[in-house]
Amino acid sequence: MFRLTVPHLDIPRGAKLAFVGESGSGKSTLLELLAMILRPTASDTFCFRPGNDEDAHDVGIAWQNGDRDLLAGLRSRHIGYVLQYGGLLPYLTVRENVELSRRLLQQHVGDAAERWAARLNIGGQLDKHPAELSVGQRQRVAIARALAHEPSVLIADEPTAAVDPLNAERIMQVMVGLVEETGVTLIVASHAHRLMQRTGLRMIELLGGADAGGSMQVTVSDAAE
Amino acid sequence: MQRNDSQSALVLGLAFRDFIHERVMSACFVLALAAVLLPLLVLFGLKFGIISNLLAPLKEDPRYRQIVPTGSGHFEPQWFTAMAERSDVEFIVPRTRAIAATMRVRDPAAESGRIISVELIPSAAGDPVLEELDAPTAYDRVVLSLDAADKLGIAAGDQIQGIVSRTYAREQQTELLPLQVTGVAPAGAFARDGMFVSHDLLIAIEDFRDGRAVPELGWTGSAARDAARSFAGFRLYARDIADVAGLRSGLLDQGIDVRTRLADIELVESMDRNLSIVFWIIATIAAAGFALSFSSSVWANVDRKRREFSVLRLTGFRGRSIVWFPVVQGALTALLGWLVAALVFLVVQAGLNALFFDNIGGGEAVCRLLPSHFLVALALTIAIAGIAAAAGGSRLAQLEPSLALREG
Repeated sequence: MFRLTVPHLDIPRGAKLAFVGESGSGKSTLLELLAMILRPTASDTFCFRPGNDEDAHDVGIAWQNGDRDLLAGLRSRHIGYVLQYGGLLPYLTVRENVELSRRLLQQHVGDAAERWAARLNIGGQLDKHPAELSVGQRQRVAIARALAHEPSVLIADEPTAAVDPLNAERIMQVMVGLVEETGVTLIVASHAHRLMQRTGLRMIELLGGADAGGSMQVTVSDAAE
Repeated sequence: MQRNDSQSALVLGLAFRDFIHERVMSACFVLALAAVLLPLLVLFGLKFGIISNLLAPLKEDPRYRQIVPTGSGHFEPQWFTAMAERSDVEFIVPRTRAIAATMRVRDPAAESGRIISVELIPSAAGDPVLEELDAPTAYDRVVLSLDAADKLGIAAGDQIQGIVSRTYAREQQTELLPLQVTGVAPAGAFARDGMFVSHDLLIAIEDFRDGRAVPELGWTGSAARDAARSFAGFRLYARDIADVAGLRSGLLDQGIDVRTRLADIELVESMDRNLSIVFWIIATIAAAGFALSFSSSVWANVDRKRREFSVLRLTGFRGRSIVWFPVVQGALTALLGWLVAALVFLVVQAGLNALFFDNIGGGEAVCRLLPSHFLVALALTIAIAGIAAAAGGSRLAQLEPSLALREG
């Protein structure tokens, strides 16, 4: 049995946050909870306020009511994702991958792909398929795709685990630069403790271990700070 | 609602792109489908070709559509009017008593003056046995059967003389009728010595035999019959061989005993039915086998691409929209597989028809399909492939978005 407890966690808009911990410590579980993908077993208060001029949405109540459409709507409109292996669609070109979320949200597409590609230094790759790119380039495309529909939160699950240390550094720097420029909240899960530190992310460690019965008990909280 | 439409349209586009991207695997599915469909097309083409060949002479020969009364009866003019209005009746004319419906004829130009006796067959416009010949519609216009024309040495356009006799007021009377032969009937039209005549001439002969006057021909006798007369029989042709059975039972219900060639028609029809049953059993087994293998392939494929589908869910696509993904690919597979099977079928068909060319008369095709058969095959293939793909991909509807896909 695995139990993740979050006594208190407040992520202000524009924060740059990294959850660090060993693999199996519950980082992905926590990200899925925050991404409104995974239903919490129980919750007291779980609110999401995507913008200053917007009311907070009670995610806990939405889960209790089974209001999946509300959650799915919040998710696709306000959150962008970068996955460990990019998660790009192999049958679409880089351009189409970047534009997909804008199309789905019926946003104006225009030159969005060019703009994001230029910022991420992948301008020459727009008409290639993901398979023709290096792993590092693919992660850059994944970041462009995650940001293209202008979300308020960027969630990245081990975004640099698949690339070499030098590329990992560069990718993190580009990502942090972009969220600082756009004011997007960044939430990263990583086991690369020092990389997160160097990139200037506020780190929250997932603490815990096996109890007497063999179950994992992990606690994550910002209350201590 | 608009959002739903645009989402579905996006999924269709993505499915199409993936189909092209994985072209090798798509081609394998297409060929697998064509391999199942092709033998079915050939089998059905053979069945259709063979049955068509058996039915063709039955459809062409009007004798298979003829319904002959076995006895004589009393048929009123209203009865004929009602029968003529039926949609399953192609042609009906009244017949007089057989004994009154004969005439002796001769060629007045011939030295020998050979006289033969011919049976009179009432005719009218649209007579099916006369084919493209003009049917006789006036007193002095006739069409001779082939036998009668041969015996008299007469061709179309010649004049002949009709001779009718009666005993009236204890006196033998003979009248001569000048007749214009407008045509000679085809061999199959009437197998004995016969002459196709207008309805008017036929009843004139019957009236004359009965001792009545026929003012139109200047023949004297007792008072002419009034308009309301009944007839002993009829010449009746169904519109189609499929209408014969219905007409026959309708007449039997009216107490009119008839003779038809229904047994010949039913033999071919029951053959068609039995072959169809065999075909559909084979087709059902083949379709079920294909549907099972296709849906399990789709299942495996969906499993292989779970990460990609999960990304779509994460981007905001709904599970029920994503189910369209394998369905669209199934329909594409069906369309292309059908196209391949149809093209190969055309080659096989040409080969089979060349191979059996000597065995079939009249240059008929032993294997053939109508355009509508191809379209039905396409519709069925798309439906079966689409349903099989939906079954194989149904779990996509329940697929949850996930960041890591740790399970499995």
